[in-house]
Amino acid sequence: MTTVMNHKSPTASHRPIMERLNVVTAVVLGVAGAVISYYLAQKFLPQNTEGSVMKTRHDQVVLIGMIGWFIGFMTGIGALVGPFRWLMGKDLSHDENMYLAGKDAGIARYFRYTTDHKVVGIQYLVITMVIFGVGGILAMLIRTNLGNPEGGWLHPQAYNAVVGIHGIVMIVATIIMITGPFGNFIMPIMIGARDMAFPRLNALSFWLIVAALAPILSSFFLGGITTGWSAYNPLASQSPAGMDGYIMFICIFAISTMVAGANITTTVVRMRAKGMTWTRTPIFIYGTVASVALALPAFPVFFLSQIMSGMDRALGTTFYDTRGGGSGWLYENLFWLMGHPEVYVILIPAVAALMEMAPVFTRRPLFSFKIAVMGIAGICGLSILVWAHHMYMTGWAPLLNAPFMLTTELISIPTGMLFLVLVGTVWRGRLWMTVPTASIFALLLNFMIGGITGIYLSDVPADAALHGSMFVTAHFHYTLMGAGLTGAIAALIFWFPKMTGRMIDKQLSWISFWMVQIGFNVAFMGMFMVGLAGQPRRVEAYAELFTRGNQITTGAAFVIMAGMLVLLWAVVYSWRHGQKAPMNPWQSKTLEWSVPNPVPLENFETLPTVTSDPYGYGKAQS
Amino acid sequence: MSTQVNTHHEHPDVVGSRNKLGVVLILVADIAFALSVLFVYFYLKQQDVGGMWLPRASEGQAATVPANAMGAWYLTLLAGLGLLVNNYALRGARTKNPTQINLGLGAGALISIVLFVYQIIQMRQVEFTVTWGAYASCYFLITGLSALHFFITAFIGIGNWNRGRLGLYSNDFWHIDIANVWWIWMVVSSLLGAFALSNS
Repeated sequence: MTTVMNHKSPTASHRPIMERLNVVTAVVLGVAGAVISYYLAQKFLPQNTEGSVMKTRHDQVVLIGMIGWFIGFMTGIGALVGPFRWLMGKDLSHDENMYLAGKDAGIARYFRYTTDHKVVGIQYLVITMVIFGVGGILAMLIRTNLGNPEGGWLHPQAYNAVVGIHGIVMIVATIIMITGPFGNFIMPIMIGARDMAFPRLNALSFWLIVAALAPILSSFFLGGITTGWSAYNPLASQSPAGMDGYIMFICIFAISTMVAGANITTTVVRMRAKGMTWTRTPIFIYGTVASVALALPAFPVFFLSQIMSGMDRALGTTFYDTRGGGSGWLYENLFWLMGHPEVYVILIPAVAALMEMAPVFTRRPLFSFKIAVMGIAGICGLSILVWAHHMYMTGWAPLLNAPFMLTTELISIPTGMLFLVLVGTVWRGRLWMTVPTASIFALLLNFMIGGITGIYLSDVPADAALHGSMFVTAHFHYTLMGAGLTGAIAALIFWFPKMTGRMIDKQLSWISFWMVQIGFNVAFMGMFMVGLAGQPRRVEAYAELFTRGNQITTGAAFVIMAGMLVLLWAVVYSWRHGQKAPMNPWQSKTLEWSVPNPVPLENFETLPTVTSDPYGYGKAQS
Repeated sequence: MSTQVNTHHEHPDVVGSRNKLGVVLILVADIAFALSVLFVYFYLKQQDVGGMWLPRASEGQAATVPANAMGAWYLTLLAGLGLLVNNYALRGARTKNPTQINLGLGAGALISIVLFVYQIIQMRQVEFTVTWGAYASCYFLITGLSALHFFITAFIGIGNWNRGRLGLYSNDFWHIDIANVWWIWMVVSSLLGAFALSNS
């Protein structure tokens, strides 16, 4: 691509405002916004009146401070430049767009509002690893505390806060772990596009997540999230001000998800290369689009539930307070209307990523592309009809238990289709045994255990005994971590050469794989055992009879942690010193492997034309 | 609204069509949000937990009397008028008539400001506060979100008017086309709000 640039290099004092904004100005303005709004709220907000049922002035002040942070941060990073320039009728010039894309900006482009999808992909990768790091440390605090029956290592209130924050940050990390890094870096190249449809919205979706981190982390110092990740009301309304951090975090994250969903879907629908018909579109693209398209209508419901939660706390509305005509069931319905599709928002792209890798490492076509697409569509369709299986034991609409049991069990059919495609692809294939290949088998095993225990839990009589127990905790870790995270790590290893230009260290990645998989299965099998024996979740101390199972789980959790640290070292070391990667180290047929390393700013010199399907391994014409 | 510059020399129609799809998809999220608000309203109304949907008079607090829903219908009519004038501007852009563009977009900007101000006035005129039971909570949720919608409409309206005034829509006018989609949603969402508030 030859792009004629006439970009002057003005002195620092003459640089336009847009070019001065970066993460430092964002943090400075964010902190200033928080401090000023907090001070003004303290000074001018009226005291509580007796007429208010639940509102507290403290919540108003805290929420206003967080809104001040948010506005300051987004202004400081440059998110408002585009809308302001549009309003003024001064559209960005070609040079300014190139500046925003990070042309010739070196490492600085990773610390500002850069629109190049590859930069955003790397930014997502790093932030996902940071969030996993925070959630992982909290997981180790939980497991250390559960290492002996009396707990005692953490104060019970602190334990609850750690569990709540661990839960929600891990959920968010798993939601973005595939569509963030790989949906941004790889997907546009894979469909033969030069960038995302809306590059500035792409940067916006990333920086919104960064802005959301401050409120959730501040909740540590505001009494924590003592409700677990689901933040049920009216319990949440009575929780410390740390809950305001949760509310703010979810509201900002929901906006990010909506923006990303519209952007990714538009990119795939409108910008696929010439000749890339829907039957020639790689399965990973289907998985990514299904994930974000499912999130698009689901997250606004969660967003609303948190807005109402914030209004109950800060304004004294009574959406969830029965004393004022509200209902706790209302919250549960809204929460799980998002909460269950969200599981598939996480899982579908992870399975799709492995379906993308399976033909590459078996040198065979994907076994029934159409069944894979039907399976993804079936899961999406059914996932919005199963939410009340989380509410069997709450007493809400008992007559609906049977229909929800049916829809939940039906979802195992399209899920089974995805299993069939994976098994059919590797069956009698000439396996090239890499970590991604082994991850396919790991996912099949883990997802099968997670799926089958899910069928138990969808069954009303079994759920009556098992709900609220460690069995449930083990079940969803098997799906989200055993299946989802396994797929994400495989995707990282598979696309690492394209994203960094280097091969990831083979030996270290194998060591990490086995440590994590063995540690994971031992840890969560132990958790299944204590759950079946009756240990409740979200408690910091337990009866003596659960000691053995908990000690096994805690010991194995440390093995997982060590395995994750090995992976982190492999990523950091290989990124700096790894062997230089050839353009197509896996001999794959999808488009992202047809561009050189490092990938040029606009990806393709001339846009490609697709003439065959991406899985035609062993076919003469493909 | 995006201010996508045609970096890769694509035809404006291609860029416009892509941006229109993006706006429609963001509206899908907004529609899901609005339908959830309606669900909250009718769920709490139907449950009437403890008879607190519309609390009776008690010591120190008068009974909650529902707000007059006619105001919400007037807003819907105004939003419909906004849609019509934006359409007028769009037709002007298609026939390359700058006077018609400026007139239509100017009127659209004015109507969007009136919508926002009128919604705030309605919220201030009701005889209950946000803490007076479930209906009051829902009323302020619906009208508050409606005010936010009209604020965004005013931003788009003023921006489009300014850009029209600067002659930016003489050849490439997909922004006005996309604003039409937004105005349609404003009419529909106002209609939904008016329908809900008429069923108190």
